[in-house]
Amino acid sequence: MKEIEELFLPDNVRYAESHEWTRDDGANITIGINDYAQDQLGDIVFVELPDVGDTFEKGEDFGTLESVKSVSEIYMPVSGEIIAINKALEETPELVNEEPYNNGWIIEVKPNDPDEINTLMDSSEYLKMLKGEE
Amino acid sequence: MNKKQIKKTPLHDWHLEHGANMAVFGGYEMPLWYLSGAKREHLAVLTGAGMFDTSHMAVIMVEGPDALTLLQACFTKDLDACIGKDKTPLVPGRCAYGAFLDDMGHVRDDSVVSQVTPEIYMIVVNAGMGEQIARHLKDQAGGSNVEIHDLTDGVGKIDIQGPMSARILAGIIREPELVFDRMVYFSFKGFFDDDSPLADAVRLSDGTPVMLSRTGYTGEFGFEIFMSPYHIEHVWKMALEAGKDFGFVTCGLAARDSLRAGAVLPLSHQDIGPWPFINNPWSFALPFNDDRTDFTKKFMGDDALKKIKEPEYTYPFTGFDLRKVSPGDSTVVTDPDGAKIGIVLTCVTDMAIGRVKERIYSIASPDKPDEFNPKGLSCGFVRVTRKLSVGDTVELKDGRRTIKVVIVDDIRPARTARRAIKNML
Repeated sequence: MKEIEELFLPDNVRYAESHEWTRDDGANITIGINDYAQDQLGDIVFVELPDVGDTFEKGEDFGTLESVKSVSEIYMPVSGEIIAINKALEETPELVNEEPYNNGWIIEVKPNDPDEINTLMDSSEYLKMLKGEE
Repeated sequence: MNKKQIKKTPLHDWHLEHGANMAVFGGYEMPLWYLSGAKREHLAVLTGAGMFDTSHMAVIMVEGPDALTLLQACFTKDLDACIGKDKTPLVPGRCAYGAFLDDMGHVRDDSVVSQVTPEIYMIVVNAGMGEQIARHLKDQAGGSNVEIHDLTDGVGKIDIQGPMSARILAGIIREPELVFDRMVYFSFKGFFDDDSPLADAVRLSDGTPVMLSRTGYTGEFGFEIFMSPYHIEHVWKMALEAGKDFGFVTCGLAARDSLRAGAVLPLSHQDIGPWPFINNPWSFALPFNDDRTDFTKKFMGDDALKKIKEPEYTYPFTGFDLRKVSPGDSTVVTDPDGAKIGIVLTCVTDMAIGRVKERIYSIASPDKPDEFNPKGLSCGFVRVTRKLSVGDTVELKDGRRTIKVVIVDDIRPARTARRAIKNML
């Protein structure tokens, strides 16, 4: 298990309480799970993805991550429409563990409100939350 | 349970230093997996070997002229008729699997009983169960001539499991050829107490006496090694060094759980528990006579098992892909018409198996197809109110999804637990 100090929490993304990350790519937002979540879940062996065109409200679950030990929901950090899913995860779900912020991204979303991402935590706020949890 | 009561094994610091994700199991904080992950750990036990810290399990010694009589009255296995096809009596150096029941035929715990001498038996029960089973045995012993000692936390245990286990052990024990000679499945040699006359039978290269038992909880060829807790960290490190060229990894409870489920082994208090111990895949632990009309001995719970009015049945199952359901109160088993017929006891993914056409292969299957690279299959146990047959399809449904599974008589093929040791050296 990674110590909190060992977690990689980049500054160019924002964080949801449910441990997803979001990156503002201009028109769209890319979403994945962060280093803390992938470390807690362990080996991801299957990812259940939504369909392109599906819409979800903030806080709704849009898919599942199946680890060796358990099945966990993934929640929408912002409301919006799915415009892309990471098809590579169908064959190589372990990318979520290996490169959570890069090739292990999960969905791309067109947000209903482009400013909603700013309500999420930055890395230092998220780190503070994690320390409170321990 | 508050934090103060959670126990640690002597290897706890080692686990943390080596990046283990820890969780509480049976009252002990134990590794779930190490840095390499549970999938690699599971596969290593099929292709190389894996090492598990199992010091959370409890050892009870039952000693005295009436020890066998007591065990015969409390343990499901008939120890006078349990070895080989001819069902000969348990002898020194051999072990037997069974369960301790209450008078309703419900499971208190399951256990492996090893006969050290005709008057000395070593019983291994699950984590946290030492005190309870020892008390139960003392209650049943009454005034008979037998002593019961709960050695909870007084014995360290390491399991080395997988086809390379004997080759790895050969690097850390004295006279391995002699130790491994005719060491059959469910037998042991040596003892962990230097004062025992058996102690000289198995010593590590540094002289540490151990009890080496050809048993385990993975379905694969391997050993359980019992020793004083003082030696365990040293032995653990020595074994890791000896195994570095054999695909040897440390394994946590997640891999242990998926390996044992694929091997159709029950987890006590989950797959067997406070319901009658019958109509399940483990009836070999009951003392049935040849035509299965009666038991060959009297034991606690036997009458209740013979008089069940509304039987329930426990079956192994295998799914069609790796997706699991989460067992729980709201998770149900339904028949093809959608009627609820039972509950899910265990549902895990055996990452080493996959379906090719109509057949299930393991990565260890000698006849597996070329470029066989399985993603794994869900598997486990269901308990249902209706008698089912191998090949029947049922659905498992939790709050999240419904999966179709097939009732089977075995799960992971090509297991190695019973292989002749001479072929594994």
